[in-house]
Amino acid sequence: MTNGTAPDNALVLAAIEQVWGSMLFASADPWPADRPAEFGSGVQAQIELRGDWNGRLVLTCDRDVAAQIAGAMLGCGPEEVLPDLDVHDAVGEVLNVVGGSVKGALDGVSALGLPGVAPCTAPPAQGECMVVSWRDAPVYVQVVPDAAA
Amino acid sequence: MKILIADDSKVMRQIVLRTMRQAGFGHHDFVEAADGAEALDKVASDAPDLVLSDWNMPNKTGIELLRDLRSGGNEVPFGFVTSEGSEEMRETAKAAGAMFLIAKPFTSDHFSDALSGMLG
Repeated sequence: MTNGTAPDNALVLAAIEQVWGSMLFASADPWPADRPAEFGSGVQAQIELRGDWNGRLVLTCDRDVAAQIAGAMLGCGPEEVLPDLDVHDAVGEVLNVVGGSVKGALDGVSALGLPGVAPCTAPPAQGECMVVSWRDAPVYVQVVPDAAA
Repeated sequence: MKILIADDSKVMRQIVLRTMRQAGFGHHDFVEAADGAEALDKVASDAPDLVLSDWNMPNKTGIELLRDLRSGGNEVPFGFVTSEGSEEMRETAKAAGAMFLIAKPFTSDHFSDALSGMLG
Protein backbone atom coordinates (compact mmCIF):
# COMPACT_ATOMS: atom_id res chain seq x y z
CA MET A 1 0.00 0.00 0.00
CA THR A 2 1.31 3.45 -0.87
CA ASN A 3 0.33 6.37 1.38
CA GLY A 4 3.41 8.57 1.25
CA THR A 5 4.42 11.13 -1.30
CA ALA A 6 5.97 9.79 -4.49
CA PRO A 7 9.39 11.12 -5.49
CA ASP A 8 8.69 14.06 -7.78
CA ASN A 9 10.35 14.50 -11.14
CA ALA A 10 12.57 17.37 -9.97
CA LEU A 11 14.02 15.22 -7.18
CA VAL A 12 14.71 12.29 -9.49
CA LEU A 13 16.21 14.55 -12.16
CA ALA A 14 18.49 16.19 -9.58
CA ALA A 15 19.74 12.73 -8.56
CA ILE A 16 20.28 11.79 -12.20
CA GLU A 17 22.22 15.01 -12.87
CA GLN A 18 24.45 14.32 -9.88
CA VAL A 19 25.16 10.76 -11.01
CA TRP A 20 25.70 11.73 -14.65
CA GLY A 21 28.18 14.41 -13.61
CA SER A 22 30.16 12.48 -11.03
CA MET A 23 30.07 8.89 -12.33
CA LEU A 24 29.58 9.30 -16.08
CA PHE A 25 31.34 12.63 -16.60
CA ALA A 26 28.49 13.99 -18.74
CA SER A 27 25.59 16.40 -18.38
CA ALA A 28 22.00 15.13 -18.17
CA ASP A 29 20.16 17.58 -20.38
CA PRO A 30 16.45 17.05 -21.14
CA TRP A 31 15.84 15.08 -24.32
CA PRO A 32 13.64 17.14 -26.73
CA ALA A 33 10.20 15.53 -26.94
CA ASP A 34 10.04 15.91 -30.73
CA ARG A 35 13.49 14.48 -31.38
CA PRO A 36 13.39 10.94 -32.84
CA ALA A 37 15.61 8.26 -31.34
CA GLU A 38 16.70 4.81 -32.45
CA PHE A 39 15.97 1.94 -30.09
CA GLY A 40 17.17 -1.52 -31.04
CA SER A 41 17.50 -4.09 -28.29
CA GLY A 42 17.25 -2.38 -24.93
CA VAL A 43 18.23 -2.71 -21.28
CA GLN A 44 15.89 -1.96 -18.37
CA ALA A 45 16.96 -1.55 -14.73
CA GLN A 46 14.53 -1.43 -11.79
CA ILE A 47 14.95 -0.76 -8.08
CA GLU A 48 12.29 -0.81 -5.36
CA LEU A 49 11.67 1.82 -2.69
CA ARG A 50 9.80 0.65 0.42
CA GLY A 51 8.22 2.64 3.25
CA ASP A 52 5.42 5.21 3.42
CA TRP A 53 5.66 5.29 -0.39
CA ASN A 54 6.09 2.01 -2.22
CA GLY A 55 7.10 1.67 -5.82
CA ARG A 56 10.12 1.52 -8.06
CA LEU A 57 12.39 3.54 -10.23
CA VAL A 58 12.86 2.22 -13.76
CA LEU A 59 15.65 3.20 -16.16
CA THR A 60 15.49 2.12 -19.80
CA CYS A 61 17.94 2.72 -22.63
CA ASP A 62 19.20 1.22 -25.85
CA ARG A 63 21.75 -1.58 -25.36
CA ASP A 64 24.46 0.39 -27.17
CA VAL A 65 23.79 3.36 -24.90
CA ALA A 66 24.00 1.07 -21.87
CA ALA A 67 27.37 -0.19 -23.13
CA GLN A 68 28.60 3.40 -23.51
CA ILE A 69 27.47 4.20 -19.96
CA ALA A 70 29.31 1.13 -18.64
CA GLY A 71 32.41 2.11 -20.60
CA ALA A 72 32.31 5.63 -19.19
CA MET A 73 31.98 4.31 -15.63
CA LEU A 74 34.93 1.99 -16.09
CA GLY A 75 37.09 4.40 -18.09
CA CYS A 76 37.20 2.05 -21.09
CA GLY A 77 38.52 3.05 -24.50
CA PRO A 78 36.03 3.52 -27.37
CA GLU A 79 36.93 0.18 -28.98
CA GLU A 80 36.65 -1.89 -25.81
CA VAL A 81 33.69 -4.29 -25.82
CA LEU A 82 32.18 -5.15 -22.44
CA PRO A 83 30.22 -8.35 -21.79
CA ASP A 84 26.47 -8.04 -21.15
CA LEU A 85 27.04 -9.00 -17.51
CA ASP A 86 29.20 -5.92 -16.93
CA VAL A 87 26.85 -3.67 -18.95
CA HIS A 88 23.87 -4.79 -16.87
CA ASP A 89 25.89 -4.45 -13.67
CA ALA A 90 26.86 -0.88 -14.56
CA VAL A 91 23.35 0.25 -15.49
CA GLY A 92 21.97 -1.33 -12.32
CA GLU A 93 24.57 0.47 -10.25
CA VAL A 94 23.71 3.81 -11.88
CA LEU A 95 20.09 3.31 -10.85
CA ASN A 96 21.17 2.11 -7.40
CA VAL A 97 23.01 5.38 -6.78
CA VAL A 98 20.09 7.41 -8.15
CA GLY A 99 17.77 5.42 -5.87
CA GLY A 100 20.01 6.04 -2.87
CA SER A 101 19.90 9.79 -3.45
CA VAL A 102 16.12 9.74 -3.91
CA LYS A 103 15.61 7.65 -0.77
CA GLY A 104 17.79 10.01 1.24
CA ALA A 105 15.74 13.02 0.15
CA LEU A 106 12.33 11.41 0.68
CA ASP A 107 10.75 11.33 4.13
CA GLY A 108 9.37 7.99 5.20
CA VAL A 109 11.11 5.74 2.67
CA SER A 110 12.87 3.17 4.81
CA ALA A 111 14.35 0.65 2.40
CA LEU A 112 16.00 0.50 -0.98
CA GLY A 113 16.03 -2.82 -2.81
CA LEU A 114 18.74 -4.34 -4.94
CA PRO A 115 18.74 -3.34 -8.61
CA GLY A 116 17.49 -5.81 -11.19
CA VAL A 117 18.40 -5.54 -14.87
CA ALA A 118 16.93 -7.32 -17.88
CA PRO A 119 16.79 -6.93 -21.66
CA CYS A 120 13.76 -5.17 -23.13
CA THR A 121 12.45 -4.53 -26.62
CA ALA A 122 10.91 -1.05 -26.49
CA PRO A 123 11.20 2.18 -24.50
CA PRO A 124 8.28 3.45 -22.40
CA ALA A 125 5.95 5.96 -24.04
CA GLN A 126 7.39 9.46 -23.67
CA GLY A 127 4.31 10.69 -21.82
CA GLU A 128 4.92 8.10 -19.08
CA CYS A 129 8.51 8.98 -18.25
CA MET A 130 11.26 11.56 -17.99
CA VAL A 131 13.74 11.47 -20.83
CA VAL A 132 17.29 12.73 -20.31
CA SER A 133 20.22 12.77 -22.69
CA TRP A 134 23.25 10.57 -22.45
CA ARG A 135 25.67 12.09 -24.95
CA ASP A 136 23.54 11.97 -28.14
CA ALA A 137 20.92 9.43 -27.07
CA PRO A 138 17.88 9.28 -24.78
CA VAL A 139 17.62 7.53 -21.41
CA TYR A 140 14.09 6.93 -20.08
CA VAL A 141 13.37 7.15 -16.33
CA GLN A 142 10.05 6.28 -14.70
CA VAL A 143 8.67 6.55 -11.16
CA VAL A 144 6.17 3.70 -10.85
CA PRO A 145 4.00 3.38 -7.72
CA ASP A 146 2.94 -0.15 -6.72
CA ALA A 147 -0.70 0.63 -7.44
CA ALA A 148 0.16 1.23 -11.08
CA ALA A 149 2.25 -1.90 -11.45
CA MET B 1 48.42 -3.04 4.00
CA LYS B 2 45.72 -5.32 2.68
CA ILE B 3 42.30 -3.82 1.86
CA LEU B 4 39.12 -5.84 1.28
CA ILE B 5 36.51 -4.29 -1.06
CA ALA B 6 33.05 -5.84 -0.62
CA ASP B 7 30.33 -4.93 -3.14
CA ASP B 8 27.88 -7.06 -5.11
CA SER B 9 28.59 -4.92 -8.18
CA LYS B 10 31.81 -5.92 -9.93
CA VAL B 11 31.74 -2.59 -11.76
CA MET B 12 31.52 -0.70 -8.47
CA ARG B 13 34.39 -2.74 -6.97
CA GLN B 14 36.49 -1.69 -9.95
CA ILE B 15 35.46 1.94 -9.53
CA VAL B 16 36.31 1.86 -5.81
CA LEU B 17 39.70 0.35 -6.66
CA ARG B 18 40.34 2.98 -9.36
CA THR B 19 39.32 5.76 -6.97
CA MET B 20 41.62 4.39 -4.25
CA ARG B 21 44.48 4.55 -6.77
CA GLN B 22 43.51 8.11 -7.71
CA ALA B 23 43.56 8.99 -4.01
CA GLY B 24 47.15 7.75 -3.77
CA PHE B 25 46.46 4.41 -2.10
CA GLY B 26 47.21 2.20 -5.11
CA HIS B 27 50.35 0.70 -3.58
CA HIS B 28 48.33 -1.30 -1.09
CA ASP B 29 47.13 -4.86 -1.75
CA PHE B 30 43.46 -5.34 -2.61
CA VAL B 31 41.14 -8.33 -2.34
CA GLU B 32 37.47 -8.41 -3.34
CA ALA B 33 34.24 -10.01 -2.13
CA ALA B 34 30.90 -10.12 -3.96
CA ASP B 35 28.65 -10.04 -0.88
CA GLY B 36 28.72 -9.86 2.90
CA ALA B 37 29.00 -13.59 3.43
CA GLU B 38 32.02 -13.86 1.13
CA ALA B 39 33.53 -10.82 2.84
CA LEU B 40 33.17 -12.48 6.25
CA ASP B 41 35.01 -15.54 4.90
CA LYS B 42 37.76 -13.38 3.39
CA VAL B 43 38.28 -11.43 6.58
CA ALA B 44 38.97 -14.80 8.23
CA SER B 45 41.16 -16.19 5.43
CA ASP B 46 43.00 -13.05 4.26
CA ALA B 47 43.14 -10.98 7.46
CA PRO B 48 42.77 -7.57 5.76
CA ASP B 49 43.88 -4.39 7.56
CA LEU B 50 40.82 -2.48 6.32
CA VAL B 51 37.37 -3.37 4.98
CA LEU B 52 35.52 -1.09 2.54
CA SER B 53 31.98 -2.40 2.23
CA ASP B 54 28.75 -1.65 0.42
CA TRP B 55 25.66 -1.60 2.66
CA ASN B 56 22.99 -3.22 0.47
CA MET B 57 24.23 -6.66 -0.63
CA PRO B 58 22.62 -10.09 -1.04
CA ASN B 59 23.31 -12.97 1.37
CA LYS B 60 24.64 -10.68 4.09
CA THR B 61 24.32 -6.90 4.17
CA GLY B 62 27.21 -4.65 5.05
CA ILE B 63 25.82 -3.77 8.47
CA GLU B 64 25.23 -7.47 9.22
CA LEU B 65 28.82 -8.15 8.18
CA LEU B 66 30.13 -5.45 10.52
CA ARG B 67 28.00 -6.67 13.43
CA ASP B 68 29.12 -10.27 12.84
CA LEU B 69 32.75 -9.17 12.85
CA ARG B 70 32.43 -7.17 16.04
CA SER B 71 30.39 -9.81 17.84
CA GLY B 72 33.09 -12.31 16.93
CA GLY B 73 35.75 -10.09 18.45
CA ASN B 74 37.21 -8.88 15.14
CA GLU B 75 38.07 -5.17 15.30
CA VAL B 76 39.33 -4.71 11.73
CA PRO B 77 38.93 -1.06 10.66
CA PHE B 78 35.71 -0.86 8.64
CA GLY B 79 34.18 1.80 6.39
CA PHE B 80 31.04 1.86 4.28
CA VAL B 81 30.97 2.90 0.62
CA THR B 82 27.28 2.96 -0.18
CA SER B 83 24.58 4.62 -2.26
CA GLU B 84 22.75 5.85 0.83
CA GLY B 85 24.20 8.45 3.16
CA SER B 86 21.38 9.55 5.48
CA GLU B 87 22.15 10.73 9.01
CA GLU B 88 20.26 7.71 10.35
CA MET B 89 22.50 5.33 8.42
CA ARG B 90 25.64 7.19 9.45
CA GLU B 91 24.58 6.91 13.10
CA THR B 92 23.76 3.22 12.69
CA ALA B 93 27.14 2.62 11.05
CA LYS B 94 29.01 4.49 13.76
CA ALA B 95 27.14 2.71 16.55
CA ALA B 96 28.07 -0.65 15.01
CA GLY B 97 31.74 0.32 14.90
CA ALA B 98 32.32 1.76 11.43
CA MET B 99 35.01 4.44 11.04
CA PHE B 100 33.23 6.31 8.24
CA LEU B 101 30.55 6.18 5.57
CA ILE B 102 31.31 7.41 2.04
CA ALA B 103 28.15 7.95 -0.03
CA LYS B 104 28.09 7.23 -3.75
CA PRO B 105 28.63 9.05 -6.00
CA PHE B 106 32.08 9.82 -4.57
CA THR B 107 35.38 11.35 -5.61
CA SER B 108 38.97 10.50 -4.68
CA ASP B 109 38.84 13.41 -2.21
CA HIS B 110 36.25 11.51 -0.14
CA PHE B 111 38.66 8.58 0.17
CA SER B 112 41.62 10.85 0.90
CA ASP B 113 39.70 12.61 3.66
CA ALA B 114 38.51 9.35 5.22
CA LEU B 115 41.72 7.34 4.92
CA SER B 116 44.79 9.57 4.76
CA GLY B 117 45.29 9.42 8.50
CA MET B 118 45.19 5.64 8.51
CA LEU B 119 46.83 4.68 5.21
CA GLY B 120 49.26 7.57 4.78
